Amino acid sequence: MSLREPAWRVTARELESSLEEEKGEGERPTAYLLSPFAARMNRVLMAGILSPAESIGRDDSQAFWRARLSDPTGAVAITAGSFQPRAMAQLRAASAPRPAIVVGKVHLFRGRDGVGYVSVRAEAVRSVAETEERSALADIVRQTLDRLDLLERVEKEPALSEEALRKDGVPAAWLRAARASRVRYPNVDRAAFRRDLRSAVRRVAGESGPTSATPSTAPMVTVTRAPPPRPESPAPSAAERAEESLFLDQLDEVADVSADGYADLKEVLSRVSSHGLLGDRAEVILNRLEEEGVVEEPIVGKLRRA
Amino acid sequence: MTAESTSPTPVETRLRDVRATSSPVEFVARVVTFERREVTRKSDGSRRPLISGLLSDGTATVRFTWWDPPREGIERGTVLRAVGAEVREFRGRPEVTFTWKTRVSPAGPAELPKVDAEEIPFRTVEDLRPSDEGFRIEVRVVRIAPKSVTVGTERRVVHEGLVADRTGAIALSAWSDFGLQIGEAVRLAGGYVRSFRGRPSLVLDERSSVVRVEGNDLPDPAELLRAPPRSIAEVEDEGGGEAIAVEGVVVGLLPPSGLVYRCPTCHRAVHSGICRIHGQVEGQPDLRARIVLDDGTGAVTVNANRTDTERLWGVTLDEARARLRNQPDPSLLEEEMLESLLGRRLRVRGVGTKDDFGVTLTPESIDRVDIDLDAAAEELSARLGGRS
Repeated sequence: MSLREPAWRVTARELESSLEEEKGEGERPTAYLLSPFAARMNRVLMAGILSPAESIGRDDSQAFWRARLSDPTGAVAITAGSFQPRAMAQLRAASAPRPAIVVGKVHLFRGRDGVGYVSVRAEAVRSVAETEERSALADIVRQTLDRLDLLERVEKEPALSEEALRKDGVPAAWLRAARASRVRYPNVDRAAFRRDLRSAVRRVAGESGPTSATPSTAPMVTVTRAPPPRPESPAPSAAERAEESLFLDQLDEVADVSADGYADLKEVLSRVSSHGLLGDRAEVILNRLEEEGVVEEPIVGKLRRA
Repeated sequence: MTAESTSPTPVETRLRDVRATSSPVEFVARVVTFERREVTRKSDGSRRPLISGLLSDGTATVRFTWWDPPREGIERGTVLRAVGAEVREFRGRPEVTFTWKTRVSPAGPAELPKVDAEEIPFRTVEDLRPSDEGFRIEVRVVRIAPKSVTVGTERRVVHEGLVADRTGAIALSAWSDFGLQIGEAVRLAGGYVRSFRGRPSLVLDERSSVVRVEGNDLPDPAELLRAPPRSIAEVEDEGGGEAIAVEGVVVGLLPPSGLVYRCPTCHRAVHSGICRIHGQVEGQPDLRARIVLDDGTGAVTVNANRTDTERLWGVTLDEARARLRNQPDPSLLEEEMLESLLGRRLRVRGVGTKDDFGVTLTPESIDRVDIDLDAAAEELSARLGGRS
């Protein structure tokens, strides 16, 4: 039995700081992204100002759109492709930034330097009135604070039982997420995160505009698990990273719908070329991703994430 | 009703006390339900008749099997005396079997064991499990309404509702009219618990007794129906229940939502003009919404009926049909409905049942909840300020 994954209420800041992936159990394990603040997310609900979307697909048969959702704490990319036709139509609909609520699946792309790029593949998007956006943000901040409180409680009482928490209305899944967060992000700066939440509360009160004037940019956490960078290869430029990201997105899209879970190399190449990443250049990116151990080709012509 | 007395003389027992180890037994009981069947022997293909059903003596109800029964004279309510019945256990519960060794004879209701009401234990709603019986319970009637149902070929009236004590609420089905009224406090005896569509339900029949009591300890029905919402994770853990309240945000709609056509007889959805039960029918248009409500801890499906859907969506059935005449793609209607509902905060009360896909709520009420932004900002600010 698999229950529907709940939509975790998170701010953009928390999502930006989430770099640890986990796999569920079973034949088709669910992928989770673990945040430093006790969220173990497959699906999220976010609120903020949604920018007009840009097309990152070349033709209508492989449409793919991307927009940015900004809340007072930060911003994340929201994507939708032809597998999310309704959400895509909603992303495309607006020509100016507008308040919106987004429900979608989280997706982590890890660059070669260990820095993660999180995006949300939208399942549902809706433009809302500003009061609705602020109400949703209030719900998001409240649940975020509930999780921060839980983390503190777990720190003080390591033996805390699921039973004891259930009486206080805290789900068992939250306790497991809190324990995992503490293990996977031992040195996270929760005080700084709390300060970021203040700007979100000002937005709830209507005291500030939709996005904060001074978004902090210092990453709250860094996870170094990749091998040390090799000196001979120069650090990739932003453009190269974007190409890697495009390649991986397309690979995931193809793998998602293939029967065997592998992405067919030819199809990935044809898709990326329609996004402007042509022949030799695509090969270079693929080779680098393989060298980095991000992608592997266990069967000739069949790719998968390593 | 053959005679054979090689077995040790059994002592008359109550059904409550029969165990596989006490076999064979003698008892007096009433036939609650029975069914005649035939089984085919594997060895020679010959057919052997049997009766199976339930027997009760007021202390317990047990399943029975009667091999080679008489052709007539057995009816619902017949009281009989069985001497030398075999007892076996199936899934931890005793069952009795009448074989060629068993002497079965008619008996009078006066021969049924005298059950002193005082010796039946009191239970609370929380402790009731499917197939429990032989208990007394004091509850408040929260809801009760008669309903006409077909049992086999018979039309019967069942009084369905909900009863509750301080520990919880359970569905009630009374197959006999006890004149129950909403708000009454009653002491029930002679009922049993069964599981119906995944919901435990307390069943009363003509042998049950109902006594009006003061019930000062029992919750007020209004209070029960006003209980504060609980987290969806908790509702998922418990597998649903009666009088559930949850609050969450609409995160999606499940098909079929929007305009559906229903069979005029059984109200099932009609596909291509065919009802699953009644064949070709003239489908009646109806509006529904299968709302996915999520509170951040879990998600439930809320099956909203036409009235609720019209109110939440702000579009009536007639308007929806008119729109469909202008643009014939029904999926656009569903999309339009999602557009107006997504992100809405709702409080839903109703009955929850759980299956492999999670908990589904059949709502009694769906209310929109608006957050007081100033109060929320103040509360959140206080929570943030106190610590950093």
